[in-house]
Amino acid sequence: MSDIRPLEREDIPAVAEMFQRILRGRRKPAPRGAHAYLESLFLDPPHRDDEIRSLVHLRDDGSVNGFMGVLPMPFTYQGQTLRGAIAGSFMVDGHEDDPYAGARLLRAFQSGPQDLCLTETANDVSTAMWRKLRGTVLTDYSLEWLRVIRPAGFVTAMAAAAFAPAAIAKPLARPFDALLRRRGAPPQWTHVANTEFSAKALATEKADIQETAALFKQFAATFALHPKWTENDLQRMVSESGRKTNYGTTVRRKVLTRGGKTVGLFLYYGDRGGIGRVIQILAQPGHEGAIIDTMLADATDRGLTALRGRGQPGLVNAMLCRRFAFLHASSSIVYAKDKTLVEPFLAGNAFFNGFAGESWSRLLGDRFD
Amino acid sequence: MPESIKADIRAFVVENFLFGDEGDAPEDDASLIENDIVDSTGILEMVSFLEEHFAISVADPEIVPENFDTVARLSAFVAGKRKTVEAAPTGA
Repeated sequence: MSDIRPLEREDIPAVAEMFQRILRGRRKPAPRGAHAYLESLFLDPPHRDDEIRSLVHLRDDGSVNGFMGVLPMPFTYQGQTLRGAIAGSFMVDGHEDDPYAGARLLRAFQSGPQDLCLTETANDVSTAMWRKLRGTVLTDYSLEWLRVIRPAGFVTAMAAAAFAPAAIAKPLARPFDALLRRRGAPPQWTHVANTEFSAKALATEKADIQETAALFKQFAATFALHPKWTENDLQRMVSESGRKTNYGTTVRRKVLTRGGKTVGLFLYYGDRGGIGRVIQILAQPGHEGAIIDTMLADATDRGLTALRGRGQPGLVNAMLCRRFAFLHASSSIVYAKDKTLVEPFLAGNAFFNGFAGESWSRLLGDRFD
Repeated sequence: MPESIKADIRAFVVENFLFGDEGDAPEDDASLIENDIVDSTGILEMVSFLEEHFAISVADPEIVPENFDTVARLSAFVAGKRKTVEAAPTGA
């Protein structure tokens, strides 16, 4: 009879092959690095809690055909410590042949001992399933934002991502973008004008792992509900977030006022001519606009064609007047047996997504070569 | 097994998965999965319905075809759960 149980070490090869085939869409066997990382992340995760574990679904013959990756994460709210669990890498091999597998995995996850069930990577099918189990889809946290800097380069980069030979057009895009960026009074939807943000940007400095972890704790604490990271686990997360080969070079900069006070931090990945991916923006309340201006100036100077990232309710207003576009890619969802715990999420007063999710991990963006 | 349980489940299936079209209602022993009436999302919708409408608790291992695949099996499952609840001691 089919069954669900916590992930064990012997399941890793089957989970790695499903991860490679279903979530990464590759035909080749999963690289050894992927095996090692899945084992490290899901069997010995940051903030390990032996009662909150990843789950596998077994067929009648005992083979693995489903997986729910679970990362424990403690949160704090109104002086109380909450047990949180981040769900991700939710996959079922041949889910149409065994619709019970996904349903049971999600249900088993929700039935765990945690106070908060969270995901930031639910696709349309998963989102529908979470909704049926009374999960709350958080619209503001589910928005993907995009800010185009160099439109011709952006289109070329998009085309090259889908069809590699299209990258040959990149040199043709540069003069067009250079011309466009000299025209039109900013702000424009289509591009970032020369010096548009650099004139307003604050000073930045590279932040090391220890400093980054300290700033995460400092700025997340401005939210009513936020992770209660331990120093060592958060430093591990920051360190692992630095390996996303597919996304490009890691840019991790703290933002300083003229007086030298740190008022924010941004963390993104990207290379010249490409589209940068922002994993986290931290800002002291009231300085959101300045942090975004500084990040855009940095990305513009590095030759990126656009920046994209995940919504944070506290940043939306600052983004709207800077001509960001918003679209939907995947959903951020919360479920709690105690419905009052959902309220800070609905009010935009919960620190969620990014380092309070799974997108810091190498699962998103690394090649594992 | 009370017919009212079966009628309520049938009505839920028709209303939620068949757009209210009674003409497409499955036979009591017809598979809801094989007839493409219910998918993984529908199974979870059914779980929530059973728990809220019949005031029962569905454990994860109980979400299997033996309990969920047909209207008849669903009805028998609910009837069994209710009998268990009624038979349980109410405490001192």
